[in-house]
Amino acid sequence: MSDPTLLVLASLADGDKHGYAMMEDIERFAGVRLGPGTLYGAITRLEQQGWIRPLKSAEDRRQPYTLSADGRRHLEEQLSELNQIVRTGLKRLRHA
Amino acid sequence: MKKLAHWLVRLYPRWWQARYAQEFEVLLEDTDVTLCDVIGIVQSALEVRMKPTNLPRIVDMACRDIPHGYELESCVELPGANGGSTLVQSFYREIDLGDTYVTLSHSSRGGEPAQTILINGRKGEVDGDFRTDETEMLILHIDGTIERTEQTVKTWLKYRAIVDRVRDKYRSGQSAEDIFRQIRAASDNPLWS
Repeated sequence: MSDPTLLVLASLADGDKHGYAMMEDIERFAGVRLGPGTLYGAITRLEQQGWIRPLKSAEDRRQPYTLSADGRRHLEEQLSELNQIVRTGLKRLRHA
Repeated sequence: MKKLAHWLVRLYPRWWQARYAQEFEVLLEDTDVTLCDVIGIVQSALEVRMKPTNLPRIVDMACRDIPHGYELESCVELPGANGGSTLVQSFYREIDLGDTYVTLSHSSRGGEPAQTILINGRKGEVDGDFRTDETEMLILHIDGTIERTEQTVKTWLKYRAIVDRVRDKYRSGQSAEDIFRQIRAASDNPLWS
């Protein structure tokens, strides 16, 4: 799974985060280092889709984001599809 | 680093800078930026600049003026990321009381149960094309629960101009399709992208 938008949604699934926290979290759980350009390209697209939204920030300059209800639904759908692919692939490998 | 961050931010279009520059510069200051990151940022800025406009289509619309505001009913087809589309039917009322405003939005997306959102907003400081407002939002869910959040939000002022332009065109008797075509022809704004 290396689609940056999906990685950002997965990162926000367990709580609100600002950009740097997302980068660290994604590197930890997916082993992928998203560069700042890739990260903010994904954030821009996700916010335009209405899948994430900015939160009021206690710390003025860092902007935290949260997952919207639509974003959570989209993530669930995408992960369910991926899960189906993984299960099918593993099953076929076992029988090959 | 600050100079490099500032220079890199300027690669993005102005609407993007207005929305993301501050937080993006902070991220760059927090990060050990590598040559790969710089290349990634150049690529990302080009993608944002060159992204084809993916416009929603106004299927039907009705608008009427009310004291201190307006009401808008609309059916809009939103293009999806995978080539499909979603119909959004909505009723929207906005009342502007000077320093404050109230909006009510009742909308259904893709035939799902409608959601109602009430926003009480207090207008804040204007900085360029944006105004920073303090808002209280109530989301009335279909199961009867109410979600309440207080947020500081950036309101894109050019959006107001677009809404006013749409209302003027509607008043002059133009169809939703005509209005949509004109907005699309005139549009290089991020609202529709």
